[in-house]
Amino acid sequence: MFKLLDGPQTLGRGKIFWSCFLAVLAGALIYPVFADSYDVGNFSYFLIWIFMALGLCLMWGYGGMLSFGQTFFFGIAGYGYGVLAINMGGGTTTIAAIILSVLIAMAAAAVLGYFMIWGGISGIFFGIVTLSATLVLAFFLGQTAGPEWHIGTARLNGFNGMKGMDPLAVGDFYIEGSALYYVMIALIVIVYIALRMLVNSSVGNVIVATRENPQRAEMLGYDVRKYQLLTFVIGSGLAGLSGALYTSWGQFITPSSIGLPAAAMPIVWVAFSGRSDLTATLVGSFLLLFGFQTITVYSQQAALVLMGTLLLATVMLAPQGFVLGIGKLVVDWWTRRRRREPAPTLADAGRLQSDET
Amino acid sequence: MALVDVKGVSKRFGGLTAVSDVDLTVNAGEVHCLIGPNGAGKSTLFKLIVGLYPPTGGSILFDSVDITNERPYARVQRGMSIKMQAPSVFKELPVRQNIQIALQERLSGAERSAEEDRLLTLLDLAQDSDKLAGALSHGQQQWLEIGMALALQPQLLLLDEPTAGMSPEETFKTGELIKSFNAEGMTVLVVEHDMAFVRQVAQRVTVLHLGKIFARGDLETILQDEKVADIYLGQSHAH
Amino acid sequence: MSAELFSVFYQFADVFAFLILSAAGLAIVFGMMGVINMAHGEFIMCGAYVTVGLVNLGVPLPVAQILAAVTAGLIGVVVEFLIVRRFYKRPLDSLLATWGLSLIVTQSMLLIVGSAVRGIGTPEGSFAIGEYTFSTYRLVLFGCAVAVLVGLYIIFMKTRFGVIARATMQNAAMAKALGARTGRIYAISFGIGTGLAGLCGALYAPTMTLIPTMGATFVVESFVTVVVGGANVLLGTAPAAVFLAMIRMALNASYGQIIGQIGMLFAVILIIRVLPEGLSSVLVRRGR
Repeated sequence: MFKLLDGPQTLGRGKIFWSCFLAVLAGALIYPVFADSYDVGNFSYFLIWIFMALGLCLMWGYGGMLSFGQTFFFGIAGYGYGVLAINMGGGTTTIAAIILSVLIAMAAAAVLGYFMIWGGISGIFFGIVTLSATLVLAFFLGQTAGPEWHIGTARLNGFNGMKGMDPLAVGDFYIEGSALYYVMIALIVIVYIALRMLVNSSVGNVIVATRENPQRAEMLGYDVRKYQLLTFVIGSGLAGLSGALYTSWGQFITPSSIGLPAAAMPIVWVAFSGRSDLTATLVGSFLLLFGFQTITVYSQQAALVLMGTLLLATVMLAPQGFVLGIGKLVVDWWTRRRRREPAPTLADAGRLQSDET
Repeated sequence: MALVDVKGVSKRFGGLTAVSDVDLTVNAGEVHCLIGPNGAGKSTLFKLIVGLYPPTGGSILFDSVDITNERPYARVQRGMSIKMQAPSVFKELPVRQNIQIALQERLSGAERSAEEDRLLTLLDLAQDSDKLAGALSHGQQQWLEIGMALALQPQLLLLDEPTAGMSPEETFKTGELIKSFNAEGMTVLVVEHDMAFVRQVAQRVTVLHLGKIFARGDLETILQDEKVADIYLGQSHAH
Repeated sequence: MSAELFSVFYQFADVFAFLILSAAGLAIVFGMMGVINMAHGEFIMCGAYVTVGLVNLGVPLPVAQILAAVTAGLIGVVVEFLIVRRFYKRPLDSLLATWGLSLIVTQSMLLIVGSAVRGIGTPEGSFAIGEYTFSTYRLVLFGCAVAVLVGLYIIFMKTRFGVIARATMQNAAMAKALGARTGRIYAISFGIGTGLAGLCGALYAPTMTLIPTMGATFVVESFVTVVVGGANVLLGTAPAAVFLAMIRMALNASYGQIIGQIGMLFAVILIIRVLPEGLSSVLVRRGR
């Protein structure tokens, strides 16, 4: 199992990396003790989006499928949670609502993915079709203001969005504040570790092989379409998880979290961070979300202009991603410094080398 | 016993008939070479057998099972293994991982590591195992791809011009490698241009010309066939 | 009866014009250079704003529209030179870069201009056949769409520039070796593409509310038309627009706008399932 965690597909390996990981995790766990509850709530808010970024990283960086549809599945699960929570009532059923809504998003991904992947859509066209689906969903939800647009007792409400659903709860206890924060941290750790294990497993091997050369992968006996579909369903399901958590966090969702410019955000986070690595995506997305939230307080437009600029700058200056690039520079520098010391201990921070497994 | 049985297969691209009503049998245990001048339809026939194109007519049997409409991966799962003409490896992945991806369905754990090492040594790639496959020379990439094809331990190994871009020594070594695997019972079908290589490995030969079977037989008969020499040397061959 | 027939044609023409005008510029840029210009909608927005600005200054509408298209074209040449030029070998990166640009432009416009701009209103004029009345301007739009198609045909099939441009898109290295100034050809083609986007915005400016995010209204239709049409502008985009317009018109008429749009999306996904290379692949193959 440790081999899967520390395999060749992920940067950041060995004792130093995992020590840092544990230190950051420990810091995150004691943070609510020192911070006021408003800040803890804010933190939970931007941790919500991390899942969507990790999902895109899996599809784009590892699988080579550039999906512009993260907010499509975010929206499906987000509205799905709303509809389910309103119709099924609050309390512990909200847990069922969140699970069901993610499953609905994954089912939608399976259908859309089937048509695209079996239709041989790849590269740019994959992006365009997923984006078109996203924009049409946003457009559709935007004109559901009338009272005739409802599912059960849940009104869709057009641009004003759906509201009135209960937040996550167990019995009478609402999961909010620090409790929600700890749930987020736990989910992120679970998802991050699970994704690391997935990409370093034999399935992960086929996923990256398909990105590199789908024909060769097929000629080794793999039905690459199934692996692509699996990647797409998992990646989109993570967007769904973000969506469901978002709705439950704020008890509302509007079409603007689906359409433009929201649909561009996951692309910016992952491109800026470095799509080819989960850890870089985790760190980079967190930093960007933090920065974005800080600026949004003053002007949302300015924050979005910054996001656009970062995307443009990434593509022009560091196509592999800024966080990943800087990370590699630091590791290189560290390795060289250690090599100069008399006893050349192995630098075990992550390099792009295959492990002797 | 026929391992591959191609029956009356044709392939048309628009108005062009690349392969026309071809019958071909590859017997279990032999090294069979498919030769012919440029544009004879060799590569098209190869791609039909591999499953990259659906044929316009006819049928293809593998181990007595009709595989005419199966996709390549299903054919591979039945025991074929394929090396295409241009080197096609996972360029951004290390050499060892390339081999690993080919091996992982068959072996795992320590057995797999041992087999990786054995293949890498066999292919002369052991010292480059941590390099990215894209950083290898052209010839080495060809070898790596042959290694990946061999890693599947196929019943039938299909090679499309495996020695293209290799030096004479590399070509010779490839031939010896193929012969050694054939000696262990692997059936091999090679599309080849290089007659020296054909002489080195072939037991039976099929000559394709203008999309049709032109001649077939054992190596000696074909080499002595003047008509075959004619189509190879073309008009410049004095009568 | 003839009035009903004309009404059907009128609705078809309306959707067809919208698809052709919004997709033509994108199709050229994509067909010529393989670049999906995500800022396409922003060039449309640019055309619309320039038109309205000039009309408010007292410039006659048709003149303003032409000037707007030219402005969008010139900006396109600059964008090609500064950004797009670097990414011809990396189509996905060009898509991301233009998306970044799109974000910057829309949000800066929101910051600077704000969301509301005084509109200019659809040119008056309507005519009646039987019991139906029709807006003349909608027919003008249809005429413009046909004119754009004819114009593109002439530019790319009949002029020296067109021949060289097509040679460049087939094989840039060879065209360069034969003395074509491929850099300039790319810049001009990109300029024509964005100019057409600007024209689209200019033509639709009188019919809609101007907001900086208006580009998004056109984006789905233009992308979808280009995807269905495939890489060949002349053989792909026009038939794709006819096909999509018919689907959309049928659905619009019976179920309303949104179902029309969703139905179109489903049609696209189905078409791609059957014809991954787009309509033009079939038409080109048949033509051989």
